Amino acid sequence: MAEAMRATVAALLHGIDRYNPENLATLERYVDLQCKENTYDLEANLAVLKLYQFNPTYYQTAVTAQILMKALTNLPHSDFTLCKCLVDQVHQEEEMITRVTFLADLLETCQFKLFWKEISLTPEVIEGVSGFEDSVRKFICHVVSITYQRIDKQTLLELLGDIEDHQLKQWMNKYGWRDDGEGFVFLANQEENVKTKNIVEKIDFESVAGIMAASIQR
Amino acid sequence: MYGGEDYQDYDQYGQHPYGPPEPYELHTGDPRADLEYERQYQQAPPAYIVPDVIKRFIEYFHKCVGDGNVYEIGNIYENSFNKLTERFFKTSSWPEAEYIMPLVKNDNVFLILYKELYFRHIYAKVQGGPNLEQRFESYYNYCNLFNYILNQKSPVPLELPNQWLWDIIDEFIYQFQSFTHYRSKLSKKGDDEIMILRSNPKIWNVHSVLNVLHSLVDKSSINRQLEVFSSGGDPDSVAGDFGRHSLYKMLGYFSLVGLLRLHSLLGDYYQAIRVLENIDLNKQGLYSRVPSCQISMYYYVGFAYMMMRRYQDAIRTFTSILLYIQRTKTMFQRQSYTFDMIMKQNEQMFNLLAVCLTLYPMRIDESVHSQLREKCGEKMIRMQKGDMQAFEDSFSFACPKFLSPVAPNYEAPPANYHKEAFMAQLKVFIDEVQQQIALPVVRSYLKLYTTMPVSKLAGFLDMTEEEFRTHLLCFKHKMSNVTSSKGTGGLDGEFQSASEVDFFIDKDMVHIADTKVARRYGDFFIRQIHKFEEMKRSFGELQTKS
Repeated sequence: MAEAMRATVAALLHGIDRYNPENLATLERYVDLQCKENTYDLEANLAVLKLYQFNPTYYQTAVTAQILMKALTNLPHSDFTLCKCLVDQVHQEEEMITRVTFLADLLETCQFKLFWKEISLTPEVIEGVSGFEDSVRKFICHVVSITYQRIDKQTLLELLGDIEDHQLKQWMNKYGWRDDGEGFVFLANQEENVKTKNIVEKIDFESVAGIMAASIQR
Repeated sequence: MYGGEDYQDYDQYGQHPYGPPEPYELHTGDPRADLEYERQYQQAPPAYIVPDVIKRFIEYFHKCVGDGNVYEIGNIYENSFNKLTERFFKTSSWPEAEYIMPLVKNDNVFLILYKELYFRHIYAKVQGGPNLEQRFESYYNYCNLFNYILNQKSPVPLELPNQWLWDIIDEFIYQFQSFTHYRSKLSKKGDDEIMILRSNPKIWNVHSVLNVLHSLVDKSSINRQLEVFSSGGDPDSVAGDFGRHSLYKMLGYFSLVGLLRLHSLLGDYYQAIRVLENIDLNKQGLYSRVPSCQISMYYYVGFAYMMMRRYQDAIRTFTSILLYIQRTKTMFQRQSYTFDMIMKQNEQMFNLLAVCLTLYPMRIDESVHSQLREKCGEKMIRMQKGDMQAFEDSFSFACPKFLSPVAPNYEAPPANYHKEAFMAQLKVFIDEVQQQIALPVVRSYLKLYTTMPVSKLAGFLDMTEEEFRTHLLCFKHKMSNVTSSKGTGGLDGEFQSASEVDFFIDKDMVHIADTKVARRYGDFFIRQIHKFEEMKRSFGELQTKS
């Protein structure tokens, strides 16, 4: 459903039409679908927030919270910030919103253990956003994989929210990680990516083409 | 367009451009007549007498617009008008349009253009700024101008210099922004003023402003044109009747930059960058001949990137335009409105660059870097130490004037609400900095070693090992930015880290890598070639004139 709507919605957002408040009902329904079906459309969601900004009487806290939650599923991208910039100060301080902001803060500062604890204490926050936890795990895997070459297996399990061994296996398969049999998980050879660099200048043709062409013309 | 150029052309239409301001001598010397005059003055405002110099100026100006003499219009716009302003209307307004009317045979289009300058001058120079009525009238004048240009079956026969066209778009948005701030300052407003504001919700409405910009973009097919242009084709082939016409083409292009600015003022950074998708900021294009437009564009693009946590792109954007300003500074006209604006943006961008480089240290151009140290060195040290106030100060000084697109609640107790939009953006920025505040310290320790056990390093920083590992993850996350692969511009990009210090953890050891950068020569040579070219061009222009 949500995928089918993507094109229709894109047409609604073309040019000056994106500011038409009559589209709001459709767009809000689309946000809801994204939550239910675990799809994501940043552009449409930003359009909703913009319509709220222009027409404050239509503002809905619940939809805004949904949009912010969806933005978190797209970490490490900074979508959450982009969305937050369109929410005014009064609304930023509503309880429903500050709860999401708190989660965002934990994730952005990589305090993953605290994040999972928070989720277990207030599970209703993520209710209705299907696939939220796995999206977050995906983000965690991303951060871990750029930070570690080998990581203690127990630590990894904890970072991912105390998951079961067999679940960890799935994530490891997905990213091609392997168990080294000594309690560590080997993620990637970082020595290749992270090494003392000697940056030598490279000039590509494109950046000098203009200048060369100009000198020939005269 | 360069300063220091005298305008001898003046002689064509008057012998004494700087003659004594006789028309201002209203007193007759005869006490009775003077008394009579004063009495008359109290009853009704006296008919304003347009000074002869101004009369001749207006007539000549009108003639040039009628002839479509773009070069002369440019000269009037950038030189004569400013000089006459300096002489006669330093703090008072230019004559109202009705006094000009007879001089220009009621030429409606000219009167609209004249009023554009007239109101802009009131906004910029007249004490106390525009009143409510003038704000409304200026809005209507812009509507008239855009209606005249847009509601046509074929292009209108009007030619204006690019600088003026850009200033029209820029000023239109400025006045909108100024109005929203004015509207949200309720504390000193009388009931009647609030009444008028309340009953005119359509004036300076955000939808109208967006509508104008979008219409200009559409009418000129500028996006198609830019697409074809960047793929090496001939833009005219897709421009259509309107888009081929320079007035429409340039207004379309400037409207894109206008939209960038407007979206930024609303905090919509995604759309801000999005509207420029067809402009290649790296290419010195056909369209980038107006320096104030270029500079403004880079300022907003850089700012949007900074807010999106794309520091590498932000740094590259700021560095490249600061270099450009450094190179061309001497050529800007000093007394024009633009000069002050450019210098202001220059300072603002150095502050933003200081913020970005504190959060994301990387190598930049040497000459920009030395200027940065001079201007913001002390501030940067404070920011590196985690002084939040220093971050806040830099942001407040350097950010755009954010606005709220809707009217305040007029029922609310009279207070000033114009800062709310700013406060909201400031908060987002401060939240982001807060998340990263420990990183500079972590970095300064990492820098000292090549390998070190995690626990030992944590000890140096007075942290538990677990806390420290969290910081290290955060370091990696924040230092990995989406970076556009094709130079500046655009939303697309991939995650990259160009940070000076990088590391990875293997089991319980941190392995640290530093970056050593060899000297670069290419930039230096390209810069010198450009400089030389520009000099050659200026000489050429001087030669054709004399």
